[in-house]
Amino acid sequence: MHRDLIVSGFITTVELASISLILATMLGVVIGTCGATGPRGLRVFALGWVELIRSIPLLIHMYIWYMALAMLKLPAFVCATLALSIYSSAYVAEVVRAGILGLPAGQAKAGLACGLTQFQTLRLIVYPQVLRRILPSLASVFSQLIKDSSLASVIAVADITYQAGALDGLTFRTFEVYTMTLVLYLVLVSIVNRLLGMLVGASLRSSAHASAAKSSKELRDA
Amino acid sequence: MHSVLVANSHFFAAGLLATLQISAISIVCGTAIGVVVALLRYLRVPVVARICALYVELMQGAPLLVVLLFCYFALPALLAYKTSAYWASVLSFSIFIGAYLSEDIRSGLRSVNPKLIQAGLASGLTYLQVLRLIVLPIGVRTVIPPIIGQYVRLIKFTSVASIINVQELTGNALLVNARVFEPALILGFIALVYLVVCQAVSLFGRWLNARFAVRT
Repeated sequence: MHRDLIVSGFITTVELASISLILATMLGVVIGTCGATGPRGLRVFALGWVELIRSIPLLIHMYIWYMALAMLKLPAFVCATLALSIYSSAYVAEVVRAGILGLPAGQAKAGLACGLTQFQTLRLIVYPQVLRRILPSLASVFSQLIKDSSLASVIAVADITYQAGALDGLTFRTFEVYTMTLVLYLVLVSIVNRLLGMLVGASLRSSAHASAAKSSKELRDA
Repeated sequence: MHSVLVANSHFFAAGLLATLQISAISIVCGTAIGVVVALLRYLRVPVVARICALYVELMQGAPLLVVLLFCYFALPALLAYKTSAYWASVLSFSIFIGAYLSEDIRSGLRSVNPKLIQAGLASGLTYLQVLRLIVLPIGVRTVIPPIIGQYVRLIKFTSVASIINVQELTGNALLVNARVFEPALILGFIALVYLVVCQAVSLFGRWLNARFAVRT
């Protein structure tokens, strides 16, 4: 029975974190791109939005969706997902913006000069290169997101932290329960880090492969 | 100004004061932990550096809320001591932010040009003097922006202390809200307060960086 509590809590945490991770990435990429390459008005708006969202504690985000917007009658899980996605999207946006600005401007200009549309330039030239550069910082944003998801327990989402509290109340094995919770989060975070690390390694290998192929071709041409 | 905010202004003021107090104590303790851990790992002190690495790893993989609950419920139960919510939150924030700060400071220490250290040693300073007079000042000054970023994060984190009933800004706001039930107004207001405090600290950090950063 205790095992059921732990397993259901763990699954809820994984669900909450993965849905928020996807939403935060989508939102963050859009905002970050606007902040880096949009027209002036949009750029200012994106910067202000990121500053605003980042300066408010996640707990307040959760309470705003849960209590201040109570007339929307959203379930607690949806509130937590929205709060977590929007909060983390600001961090993703910062990473994406820095990545795009870090790319030599000639890349996008060359794409446009070849007759690609703005969107095609982003999709085919800018994003693939930016993604490789920002994967490490993106990984730390993602592991932050997983850890932040523990705050959902405060608005009664039955995630692993919430179940730990319940289990503590049932068994009074306080130390064991919270140690287990810590270990579970550690495991989750290190799994995600490992996966992203593999991605980074793969992309580095493929880019090294590409540049090696290019240099050998140059040698042939010379 | 809305009457609810005016009528309860002393609650908000007391809460803000407690938030700033908790943040300040945790920043001081956390920075001390960060510097010590970073130095121990930088110097590769045999067993201790390993333990410090483990501590940093553990803190970086753990959510703040769980660390807080651990310090409030589990540690006192294990070690049989009494603590208050206030000091449990200060303890957890300090050890949590200390781990992140130590990583930033360590990367700063490692970025110090080895030639400077050799020059210091060659001019007759002892290794400790080199650390104190050359490595630490230069190393820390190169990482002012991430350190200030961690401080801002910590200030936002203090809102989590309301969960174990610490009477800080969020905790007091929730109490006021329980009495008058105006969640949109009250949450909007404290969100604004956090925004102002965080932006002020960021601005201060930018000034600090402009004033003290090592120009290369």
